[in-house]
Amino acid sequence: METAIALRDVVKEFDGFRAVDGVSFEITKGGIFGLLGPNGAGKSTTIRMIIDIIRPDSGTIEVLGQSSHRNVRHNIGYLPEERGLYKKMKVLDMLEFLGTLTGATPRDARKESQQWLEKLSIADWAGKKIEELSKGMQQKIQFAAAVLGKPPILILDEPFSGMDPVNQNLFKDTILEINRQGTTIVFSTHQMETAERLCKEIALINKGKLVLSGTLAKVKGGFGKNSLLIEYEGDGAFLSALPGVAKVDAYGSYSEIRLDAGADPQAVFSAIAGRLRVSKFEVVAPTLHNIFIEMVGATATPVLERVGDA
Amino acid sequence: MHNILMILRREYRERVTKKSFWVGAVVLPVFLGGLIVGSILLAGFQGEKQRHVALVDATGEIAPAAGSKLTGEKLKDGRPMWIVEQVPVVGSVDETRKKLSPRVLSKDLFGVITIGPDVNAENNFNFYGLNVSDIGATMDLRNALHESVVANRLKNSQLSIDQKTLDALTKRIDLETFQESATGGATKKGFLQAYFATFGFVILMFMSLLLYGVAMLRGVLEEKSTRVMEVLLGSVTPNELMTGKILGIGLVGLTQMLIYMVTVGAVRTIILVKMSGADMGWVQDTLGPAKLAYFMVFFLLGYFFYTALFAAVGAVCNSEQEAQNMQQPLTFLLMIPYIMTFFFVRNPDHIVAVVMSMLPPFAPMIMFTRLMVGSVPVWQVALSLTLLIGSTWLVFRGAAKIFRIGILMYGKRPTIPEILRWARS
Repeated sequence: METAIALRDVVKEFDGFRAVDGVSFEITKGGIFGLLGPNGAGKSTTIRMIIDIIRPDSGTIEVLGQSSHRNVRHNIGYLPEERGLYKKMKVLDMLEFLGTLTGATPRDARKESQQWLEKLSIADWAGKKIEELSKGMQQKIQFAAAVLGKPPILILDEPFSGMDPVNQNLFKDTILEINRQGTTIVFSTHQMETAERLCKEIALINKGKLVLSGTLAKVKGGFGKNSLLIEYEGDGAFLSALPGVAKVDAYGSYSEIRLDAGADPQAVFSAIAGRLRVSKFEVVAPTLHNIFIEMVGATATPVLERVGDA
Repeated sequence: MHNILMILRREYRERVTKKSFWVGAVVLPVFLGGLIVGSILLAGFQGEKQRHVALVDATGEIAPAAGSKLTGEKLKDGRPMWIVEQVPVVGSVDETRKKLSPRVLSKDLFGVITIGPDVNAENNFNFYGLNVSDIGATMDLRNALHESVVANRLKNSQLSIDQKTLDALTKRIDLETFQESATGGATKKGFLQAYFATFGFVILMFMSLLLYGVAMLRGVLEEKSTRVMEVLLGSVTPNELMTGKILGIGLVGLTQMLIYMVTVGAVRTIILVKMSGADMGWVQDTLGPAKLAYFMVFFLLGYFFYTALFAAVGAVCNSEQEAQNMQQPLTFLLMIPYIMTFFFVRNPDHIVAVVMSMLPPFAPMIMFTRLMVGSVPVWQVALSLTLLIGSTWLVFRGAAKIFRIGILMYGKRPTIPEILRWARS
């Protein structure tokens, strides 16, 4: 499989603080990749280094087989976490401008922008100023800006934040469609549910260090099928006290239970069958959410706003 | 190159379509130009009017001579400029004058001149009128009286002088001013007009440099605070971004200057046409193409020098407040030559003026001033331009580096040594 982006031993320091500390991972071309981690883990700094806004202190970054410098700019579309649009500009003018920066002529850029506005069903707003738009609308504009010029790689930093479910779905479908056409998608997110549903590969970083990486299946396989998913009626408070149960993640009428190594799911089933009215009982691999909590939670510290990583 | 052009295009279009630009570019010069042309035309019209003046003379000796001198002055169409009415003194001079005041108030008379009995006493000559700020007219009256008094004194002295000799002796002189130039030949020049034209140009340069510098700073700050910068830097290099912005805003400035120059050209033409016959050599010279060319060259170079600096300042600031503080030193740097101009117009070859006209931050305004009011050796102009161009290039490169690092520094403001280290890196 071809590699779209490869990081090797990348280090970036700000005032003696290591925002990114020896991170290495590869992103497969044509795939959907999730760069995961808590706030302040170094995700944004890593992305900024990939798109050559800042340069690493040491280590190498390759994009499409070439060093991540000037030549990489037209190959990556970027949706930043915070809105990066001129507030006073009109929507279509703004997109046209950003489109021209991918190498297109103003006319072509305008045409392509128009098409995207229609696709994202915001064509009626083309003549409005950015500042008149809602946050979700601005997010759509920002998304259109990222995909203009059909870059082979698309980096999306928290793309679903501030979107209602309908638009989240529209976004998801659009992203999957672009991916089917061959674009490599890179998500940066701390929403594990999103990553779990969309990503084929992930890298989890915490405090600037790579915690784990690989395909989602491989990562989950590493934790084994040691979890239970149960749906029930009744009070499940006693669950955590059962023998063989390591941890319970309860959501009212639904719980995710992680078992101790070597514990028998059948024994747990017998123990709860008489006490709760079980409507679903499934032996599964742990969710990404729980893997995340387990890997990060143990070392979680209050998040400090650091230079270079918003 | 494509990217620079596209950034330039956006900057230009966004700024030129703003209302504030048109207020600055069109309304202001039209208003100022209209004011200048209007006042000149107004002055011209007033000059064409015949004026009635009454003379009340207690001595009986001054008024006739002064009257004939005044009636001797002709308007352009050949009519006498002044119509003089000799009013005999009834009672006291003041009483006679008071009787005439209704005619002054009704504008039947431009004014009344009273001459007391003793020509050597203080406050002996007085003018009573509605309009006492018409310098041309009051000068005229004063000169006529002065000449008559001098003639009268001569006549009453022991020397016996006939009228013809008296006229010859008291004949008025005109002082004309010429400027020597190295190229040979002296140009006739009104110093006063040259001063004012120079001030006008320097004020224009100062305001524009400050205006576009601050526009640059705010633009960079906006891009930083809205994170547009991050999106842009995903597609273009910091160098391209800064170059595009500077050229774009520069083109806006150039457009504005062009509008100004056209206005100046129009004003010049109107003055020349309306005042044909009068001595308008100074207009040809002071507002001529050579001076406008000097202005454009020094304005543009100063523009690139200062905008690059303002861009660098914008890149290291994080908030409006911080930018306010950081732009102050630059504003001072701009104000020094601006203020000094007011001294140097009278003394363009003073050693301080010569030195300052060589120093890049001051050269645009100071060298321009020296070129406007004096004659500057060619080598000095060449040296000044060379230094200015060279340092602009250096500032541009340093600013681009500061820009590259500064625009992504959020949070902590860098110290001056840090900024200098970036500029050199």
